[in-house]
Amino acid sequence: MVSKRLLAAGLVALSMVASQAAQATQAMQNIEFWTMSLKPKFVPYFETLVKRYEAQNPGVTIEWIDFPGDLIQTKLVTRIVAGTPPALVNLNVPWADEYARDGLIVPVDQLMGAAKSTYAKAAIDDLTFSGKTYGFPLYSNVTVIAYNTSLFKEAGLTLPPQSLDEQLAFSMKIYAKTGEAGFSPSLAKADGFMLQQGLPIVKDGKAVFNSPQHVALVEKLAVAYKAGGILKDNLFSEDNFPAAIAAYNGGRLAMLSAPPTAVKRIETDAKDIYAITDVAPAPLGPTGIVDGGWLIHFAVPTGVDAKLMPAIAKFARYLTNDENQLAFDKLANVFPTTIAAANDPYFQRLPVNAGASEKAVAIGAESMKRSRTLYVAGIDDYDELRRSLVNAIEAGVTGKQDPKAALDAAVAIWNKKLATQAH
Amino acid sequence: MMKTSFKQNLQAYLFLAPALVLFAVFSFWPVGYGSYLAFTDYSLIKPTHWVGLDNFRYIFDNAMFVAGLRNSLLFLLIVPIIQIGAITLAVLVNNRLPGIRLFRAAFYVPVVTTISVVGIMWGFMFHEQGTLNYVLLQLRLVNQPVGWLSDDSIALFAVMFVTVWRGLGWYMVMYLAGLQAVPAEMQEAAILDGANRWQRFWKITVPMLRPTIMVCSIMSVLAALKAYQEVLVLTQGGPLNATFTALYYAYDQGLKHLKLPRGLAASFVVSICCVAIMLLCLRYIKPKHR
Repeated sequence: MVSKRLLAAGLVALSMVASQAAQATQAMQNIEFWTMSLKPKFVPYFETLVKRYEAQNPGVTIEWIDFPGDLIQTKLVTRIVAGTPPALVNLNVPWADEYARDGLIVPVDQLMGAAKSTYAKAAIDDLTFSGKTYGFPLYSNVTVIAYNTSLFKEAGLTLPPQSLDEQLAFSMKIYAKTGEAGFSPSLAKADGFMLQQGLPIVKDGKAVFNSPQHVALVEKLAVAYKAGGILKDNLFSEDNFPAAIAAYNGGRLAMLSAPPTAVKRIETDAKDIYAITDVAPAPLGPTGIVDGGWLIHFAVPTGVDAKLMPAIAKFARYLTNDENQLAFDKLANVFPTTIAAANDPYFQRLPVNAGASEKAVAIGAESMKRSRTLYVAGIDDYDELRRSLVNAIEAGVTGKQDPKAALDAAVAIWNKKLATQAH
Repeated sequence: MMKTSFKQNLQAYLFLAPALVLFAVFSFWPVGYGSYLAFTDYSLIKPTHWVGLDNFRYIFDNAMFVAGLRNSLLFLLIVPIIQIGAITLAVLVNNRLPGIRLFRAAFYVPVVTTISVVGIMWGFMFHEQGTLNYVLLQLRLVNQPVGWLSDDSIALFAVMFVTVWRGLGWYMVMYLAGLQAVPAEMQEAAILDGANRWQRFWKITVPMLRPTIMVCSIMSVLAALKAYQEVLVLTQGGPLNATFTALYYAYDQGLKHLKLPRGLAASFVVSICCVAIMLLCLRYIKPKHR
């Protein structure tokens, strides 16, 4: 009898323990978040961040996965289709625009709540498509000009350029006097380049980049190209930055238009060139927008478990709050997207005896106020269309084709595509 | 007799089964399913519909694919160059000379060099301020730097050169194996008959190498039509689409921009070209029955 009671009591106790264990397991919330190309440099940063969050939030486990930039899209789409998307994923703005149109990411206005007002307006505007916000802004970047004072002096120049026209004129003068190229514009991002100059790409559903103003811009570039002012290395490749910084570090390029991280790289890779480098703000276009804005954010993919949403919202706000953004930005030499972090003295005060690298951060922080991610939103096959624009500019700049004829041909390709989208 | 034959066949198929299953899963099924998807609007996220030849119309209407297909066919120019070069190298390194193994290894190094390293190295070499232009300028063979990868009239040939450079060692080893299988007695008999070195090469070596030539030619034709890695690491299809190949277009659309049906349609066209040219090779360079 006693043994039966003991057995019964044991079973009850066991079932209670099992039930509690089951409840505990159910209560455990796993949040998987993906970043883009941040390993190995930022492993200590993210590991510390995750440990701290898990300690502050019992019952939540965080899993961090980092993918190279060229893989993350394929992985993401596959996981969304499989019904097992990550809770948060790093995207850039054009990708977010396309994913939002395809229904692959969800609006986060509700998840953001009152925290929305803590982010910079420009960042929220970049991520707002059809009136809804599609991501938690993480960091952005902006272009500054690092210039070789020695080549400037040799060319009889004392001040950095204030406009694109001046930059082109300086470049030609530098080549004429020193035999080295002046600068290397990112012509593979021709859409952003034109938009920054106040020249629209699409108007009323039609491509309009063959206007006399657009043609004049290409002709100006062609003149500088022919005169040797523009660096020819990989000029029209999708990313001409590696070629440009290699040329700058080798003393073959007078002006490097790049984010402040690049100045840090010059400091590490080419100390002799860094010693004669000064930094200036990148010229504003007629729009008042500075070039090089490239916002990275955390988006929430479609198909994430609805029950997880409050926990995801809390973690996303934690990842992108003032304190954590500031810590990340200092490590990565990028710029915050929260108002408070942007106003931190780190970005506002120039240290005594500041080198070009510190100066770049301060100048960049000032320019950030006028930084936007420049591209044309809401167009299918945008990359392919942009390539036809870049090809037209390449043909015009290198003299393979008359600029007007080249732009006309590209406009025809765009309009054919845009017409199919309109139906 | 029938029973024995059936049993033997069954045994053979059972031995082949593991490999056939692997082939079926990893080759036949993807090829078949991929070919089917080339005729659909497959997009991972939306229901798939049959769209007939729409994807093919799209790619043939696209300047990049048309340029790519033309360039892929132009790439076939490397086949005779690579075969003649490989045979010449194989004959040279087939001699018993001191240190010849070092040369054999040296010629094979490009084959085992990863494509990313190849891209960086030849990127430096072909650069306007790179090694090649430096040498040419110093020798006063050119007046100004040549845009090996930035001039659309020569960029494709620069990429083709890298493909030849990468492939030469592989085919050299194949021909070396073929040369070493040529019976020494035949050569000796020919020497006794008074044949000179040239005659022995044309009358004995080349005919004996014919099966190897056929295999190598087919392989290099397929490799030429499928060229895309060199394009990826050196030019990404530029300048002005001059180095786009059909398969690079397939990669660009299918994997880079996730437009899978277009990429698959381009791959389908490349496959058709591969099969057609392979059949031509089999017809015209089939080894003669001995």
